[in-house]
Amino acid sequence: MIYDEPKFLPGGDRFIEMELGDELNFDLNFLVHSLSAKIREAEIAGLIELLPNMASIVISYDPDLISFADLKSEILSHYRNMGSLEDMELLSPIYYIPVLYCDHVTRACWEDYCAKITEKEYDSDILVQLNDLDGYAQLARIHSGTEYWVAALGFYPGLASLIALDPRCRLTAPKYNPPRTWTAKGTIGYGGSVTCVYPANTPGGYQMIGHTPVPVCDIEQSLPAFKQDLALLRPGDRVRFFPVGREEYDYIESRVTAGDYVHNVAHYAKFSIRAYHEWLGTLDMKERF
Amino acid sequence: MALNIDVIKAGLETSVQDFPGRYGFWEQGFPPSGPFDMWSFRLANILVGNAPEAAGLECQFMGPTLKFSDDCVIAFTGAEMNATLDGETFPMWESVAVAAGQTLACGFASVGARAYLAVSGGIEVPQVLGARATFHMAGVGGLEGHALKDGQSIAVNGGAGVPGRKVKQDCRPKIANGKQWQIEVVQGPNDDWIAEEGIERFLESEWKLQARSNRTGYRLEGPEWIFADKASNKGPEHGEHPSNILDHGYPVGSINLCGQTPIILVNDAPSAGGFINPFTVPSAAFWKLAQSKPNDIYRFNRVSVEEAQEMRRGIDGLCVEDSIE
Amino acid sequence: MKFDQPKYLPGGDHFILVQFGDDASIDLNFMALGLTAALKEDATKGVVDTNPSYNSLIVEYESDDISYADLKIELARLISGLGSVEDLELESRLAYLPAMYLDPWTRDCVADYSEKIAPRDYDPDFVAEVNGFEDAKQLARIHSGTEHWVVAVCSTPGLPLMRALDPRCAITSPKYNPPRTWTTLGAIGVGGLSSSIYTTPGPGGYNLIGRTPVPLWDPQQRLPVFKDRVVLLDAADRVKFVPIGEEEFEYIEARVADGSYEFNITAYQRFSVGAYKKWVASLNQDGRF
Repeated sequence: MIYDEPKFLPGGDRFIEMELGDELNFDLNFLVHSLSAKIREAEIAGLIELLPNMASIVISYDPDLISFADLKSEILSHYRNMGSLEDMELLSPIYYIPVLYCDHVTRACWEDYCAKITEKEYDSDILVQLNDLDGYAQLARIHSGTEYWVAALGFYPGLASLIALDPRCRLTAPKYNPPRTWTAKGTIGYGGSVTCVYPANTPGGYQMIGHTPVPVCDIEQSLPAFKQDLALLRPGDRVRFFPVGREEYDYIESRVTAGDYVHNVAHYAKFSIRAYHEWLGTLDMKERF
Repeated sequence: MALNIDVIKAGLETSVQDFPGRYGFWEQGFPPSGPFDMWSFRLANILVGNAPEAAGLECQFMGPTLKFSDDCVIAFTGAEMNATLDGETFPMWESVAVAAGQTLACGFASVGARAYLAVSGGIEVPQVLGARATFHMAGVGGLEGHALKDGQSIAVNGGAGVPGRKVKQDCRPKIANGKQWQIEVVQGPNDDWIAEEGIERFLESEWKLQARSNRTGYRLEGPEWIFADKASNKGPEHGEHPSNILDHGYPVGSINLCGQTPIILVNDAPSAGGFINPFTVPSAAFWKLAQSKPNDIYRFNRVSVEEAQEMRRGIDGLCVEDSIE
Repeated sequence: MKFDQPKYLPGGDHFILVQFGDDASIDLNFMALGLTAALKEDATKGVVDTNPSYNSLIVEYESDDISYADLKIELARLISGLGSVEDLELESRLAYLPAMYLDPWTRDCVADYSEKIAPRDYDPDFVAEVNGFEDAKQLARIHSGTEHWVVAVCSTPGLPLMRALDPRCAITSPKYNPPRTWTTLGAIGVGGLSSSIYTTPGPGGYNLIGRTPVPLWDPQQRLPVFKDRVVLLDAADRVKFVPIGEEEFEYIEARVADGSYEFNITAYQRFSVGAYKKWVASLNQDGRF
């Protein structure tokens, strides 16, 4: 639920956790990012950094310049002046990312986990069973059948948490227990009701359902898409995955290696909350892709 | 006066850090990094005439062996590393003139855990994402993104330092080998996920610092936590375990409860995740964490936000020229 | 070229043609669609229907309700209310349509023409060569890499006339001469600077590069998406082709046949011409997918 009044919780001497609600809810996340944008614009003296996430914002501040109470009060007044969620719009770029589903890379990673840590069912099988799907083809069709909203960045540089905008495409998946000690960079993960692209070879716990050769984080900022930012995705962006076969996957990988891969991003549509709610109302929730 | 420092022996995880570390990229997943004991670090810089923010070396548990290519002034603060300069005992908390060709050698820390080496002029490595601090997990900053390696060479800016300056005794952090620490802690942000009984238990118990602790996280061993109702009565998106919460940002210093394992999130910790943070260690207590060794015992002392801020101001007030005699 | 002032030309006794310019610059279509939206909102008395094209709009009117002269004044007023083209924001749905590129059915169609009418190279190879692409696969990658703007729905029921929004994906090709006498139903064609989808098996002149298994119109309104409409797309919508293989093509065809196919259309965006121009200006024109 979205709280009537956001909670301001202290985090030591120089952090505040502002909780706007307690669920994974697109509206709530949109509110989080709209408020973050507004707070940033306000340039409050003493406010150092903002860390927006699913339903909360962690704020770091300099207590020599502003007190907990004053900062809370300023942020609250911005929150109250936000206007209705329905009226909000956001220019939101969309990234088209190719995926080889049920691929050889993540299969090898899963096999390694089974050999070294503990036996477990193949990840895509878990998703198919848990979500009552026909098979891998339907998994790919549903996973790639929706735009995803970048709800948060965090945990690791370049790691974006994505939530499905089309509720008919929301799946559920348990996490690895214990977690993996490594995940191949470019793995498409699914955990809880969130999907992600692993930006580097990191430990992880999401089920692995596919792989993309396209980089989403480039600390050296060498590829053109990373000239402004080392992470491809920002909260408020959208992602659309599209299935490719092995041949196309190999081709794309070769372009990435050659350094001339061109990321596919369209940046000219305004995401409208009102229109989104209206569109949700038109969907037949019983139907599936 | 272009100076190079040759890394004869790198020591255990020695890295370039600057103060306050990396800011402005937290929401892209980059933690602040920077020196763990910010008190000792800043005083080292002030001793050699640097701005407190200048890049220096953080040495952990076993310091490096370094050879200086040119004359300079250096200072070593923090843990006692039993350092020698060309075989002669090297004093801590004091600026010392080093001549071209001399070698500073360190052993294991005998008191405390982390020591800071400042060189007049400051260490010259490229700024990456706005800072010289090393974030080893992503290979960013410092010397080629990682801890020092044998055989590397570190460039230092030219700078005039004055030898013979000392930090007044009562301006230094009281690093001792008592193995018992009182660590200040501020309740929150997610203290309401823990039952009243659990809060008391946390504050009244002893917590042991596990060996598997480092700049990414300090793992504590102690009694079981007792959760409040809200930790079990929550939407499915939070996760199954009572300590699971919908992903949220992690204040630096959070005591992050992963299942039943509390992990203090320190300088290189992940920026966000799905576990609760019932308590937070404030900035002013970080030097204590930095100077702890595995198996040290912590008792947590609850303070208010204002008290924690006052303490930090107190330490900041000591990282100034006035602390030098 | 864009006219300083739009031209008004009579089309018999109950049509007026509004011309914004005389070339195929996409701005002119944006203006035509902006006027379309304005007319709808204004609900001008006497206006019966509108029909946009590349650079113009035909307005059908009832002369008993409004005179030619008065209608001209009304149109001029609405056009000036639109402001400059950069200020335009248009309601624009995005339809993700499955497309099997280099499919066997259009291959047969081209082969048939080559045998019976005039010898001809396989269209995708021909188009790839004319545009300097590596091969037909790159043609598919480029064609599917961009969103296509629906300039107008015309010629045959439901047929979308489209332009690539990403200038790096502009494909040019001469048309069949003489035209085909028949075309595979659902064929995706490119001709001049445009793409289209054949919604009837009739004659045609575009080069055939693929095929979609989904219908663009449905007079029986069998499929759920056609509940309130007979034609799938409107002018100002956008199409993104999602490449599929033969197996997926057959799966979709079966779902269309049994009436259960769910179209993948998002309707929560507004197309911002200003943002579009900025985005175009930001692109490295030498980059290729």
